[in-house]
Amino acid sequence: MRKIVLPGDLISTNPKVAGYGTYIEGDKVYAKILGLFDEAENSAKVIPLKGKYIPSIGDTVIGIVREVTANGWNLDINSPYQAFLPLTENPETKPGKKPNDILDLGDAVIAKVINIDPRMRVTVTMKDKICRAIRFGRIVAINPARIPRVIGKKGSMIKLLKSELDVQIVAGQNGLIWLNGDRRKISIAEEAIYLIEEEAHTEGLTDRVAEFLRRRKECLAQKNS
Amino acid sequence: MSNDILSEIKKDYVLSKLRDGERIDGRKFDEFRKLEIRTGLIGKAEGSAYVKLGNTQVVVGIKMQPGEPFPDVPDKGVIIVNAELVPLASPTFEPGPPDENSIELARVVDRGIRESEAVDLSKLCIEPGKKVWIIFVDIHALDDDGNLLDASAIASICALMNTKVPASRFGLGEDFDLPVNDIPVSVTSLIIGDKFLVDPTRDEMSVGERTLTVTVDKSDNIVAIQKSGDYLLSEPLFTEVLEASIRASKKIREEILRQCSKAC
Amino acid sequence: MSRPEKFIIDGKRLDGRTPDQLRPIKIEVDYLKRADGSCYLEMGKNRVVAAVYGPREVHPRHLQDPTKAIIRYRYNMAPFSVEERKRPGPDRRSIEISKVSKEAFEAVIMKELFPRSAIDIFVEVLQADAGSRTACINAASVALVDAGIPMKGILTSVAVAKVDGVLVLDPMKEEDNYGEADIPFAFLIRGGKIESIALLQMDGKMTKEEIKEAINLAKKGAMEIYQMQREAIMKKFIEEGENE
Repeated sequence: MRKIVLPGDLISTNPKVAGYGTYIEGDKVYAKILGLFDEAENSAKVIPLKGKYIPSIGDTVIGIVREVTANGWNLDINSPYQAFLPLTENPETKPGKKPNDILDLGDAVIAKVINIDPRMRVTVTMKDKICRAIRFGRIVAINPARIPRVIGKKGSMIKLLKSELDVQIVAGQNGLIWLNGDRRKISIAEEAIYLIEEEAHTEGLTDRVAEFLRRRKECLAQKNS
Repeated sequence: MSNDILSEIKKDYVLSKLRDGERIDGRKFDEFRKLEIRTGLIGKAEGSAYVKLGNTQVVVGIKMQPGEPFPDVPDKGVIIVNAELVPLASPTFEPGPPDENSIELARVVDRGIRESEAVDLSKLCIEPGKKVWIIFVDIHALDDDGNLLDASAIASICALMNTKVPASRFGLGEDFDLPVNDIPVSVTSLIIGDKFLVDPTRDEMSVGERTLTVTVDKSDNIVAIQKSGDYLLSEPLFTEVLEASIRASKKIREEILRQCSKAC
Repeated sequence: MSRPEKFIIDGKRLDGRTPDQLRPIKIEVDYLKRADGSCYLEMGKNRVVAAVYGPREVHPRHLQDPTKAIIRYRYNMAPFSVEERKRPGPDRRSIEISKVSKEAFEAVIMKELFPRSAIDIFVEVLQADAGSRTACINAASVALVDAGIPMKGILTSVAVAKVDGVLVLDPMKEEDNYGEADIPFAFLIRGGKIESIALLQMDGKMTKEEIKEAINLAKKGAMEIYQMQREAIMKKFIEEGENE
């Protein structure tokens, strides 16, 4: 059973194993956030249960355009920090095209974090195959700390949802998830996501989600016949 | 900032569900959320009530002291309603003196109590022209998940219903129950085009801050109306909302009597 | 209220407690929906609600610190929280309390992790009963944990007063108003132990030895309160943090 730890709890006396959610003082490792203590051979970390999304390089994020400038777009990424998408990082940029003809206020995009400076100024790119401007489908928002569970170990959970429902799903690390496909299947996907969010740290969740999807699909098939 | 992004997402969701004739929490268009009332929780106050309407939470405290009457009504008690939309209750509330929203809320709640004559102010005269009882109704928002107004109005009347006038503290005789003769209920609806949603949640309000509040007394008289927001209201819609508000107010009044009966 | 003749009779205080006993405490975590972290707390007849918002963007821009988060703390009393109705809005006492409380948390919150942002702590006193500032710090501490804010450890607060020459823990109204001295403390607790003092004020007259005694008494009380803060948080998250 994973233990819950609080800030200031002593995690280890071996600074070499200090992982996420911990800090070192002298030769002691303490928890710095509320979370689940996760111990492995070479790591002692704390998995957060709550908290705002703080960007990391490499993260996939879904953002909404808040400002259009001559050099690019400022995006709201559901974080205390905004992200900047330079013109040069958007594959749809073409000479002669004005920035707001490519992306305008309120448009949503899937992007990847490529740089963060010491003042937490975040730069993103859309030059990655997972990235795109979102022009259809729906966006769903959950607690960012639960996104790893929606994705699952080695992507197992998100693969389950995609294959069972035949919908496109892109989960942003910032708690936003894009769904695209048949309207009713998307509704089921959304319900499943809220279920995962609610029960993220319980045992046997993957099986329960598979069962939930099966029942909902049956329901849908009955309605159609 | 991050509330903007979430409210945009919610807005689309609310509207798409509305097109299917549904609300995102499954309620009917004229249905209130679950209502929980607790009275007398602030022992030091003369009266108090806590209301939880869905996830919206508010506390109202009643303080009373002798004071001067208004010059034009020398023999009646005075009610002063104030609302504090403290920053604790919402990421959008800022510290500082009451803004137009908290002033509007306090005044609409006040109107409902005053025009329904819920409190018999004539029984609150101590010395005509010189001294009367002043009733402070202080609304303290705790958690804004939409419709703080109706939650505050319910809490205010429930707090008044369980108020004891502290006469003994001021050497003015024995303490006595504040005479409350009516239960005004305000019903606020979110207006979206030609549709209305009673008791909107914060998510539903992301569509726009456009509401219509109708306050009804126990005899189905309308004692206050407030159109709030930049929209044009058609007569047929107004009539529809009026009827629905009267119906909804009855259910809330039943709930108030049920949960508030002992101490009141 | 008038000054009592004696504060301690047969070793018991006016409310029946022994000098080293705390008033009853109740703690509820995640009490509010909109706040990022929150806590409802009762300590004696104090009723307080704490909410944390953040880290979040700072407006206006000129308040931003490019190297760390700014911490803001607002202690506020509801008009109906005291015997004689209090006019809404900050008074000089609330502003001072807000300042020293903010500084206590500034010492333990890892601000450098969130440049250019703000972490806002709001505490509302719904009913006040001596020691409201200590109740507020205890609630704020829990709310910060609930919000997932990284901190060195937990802050726990309690006051000690001197009445009839005796040091008493967690003073009640009469002891607070008519005692010879009043010392509110807040401690940083880490690794299950009290490590350092984050808040300290004194009002009154005491000898050096009495102050040392007061610290020991306060530490004892703080450890008890810390256990309750822990339990409340664990209880809330046990439902969530089950095995996997």
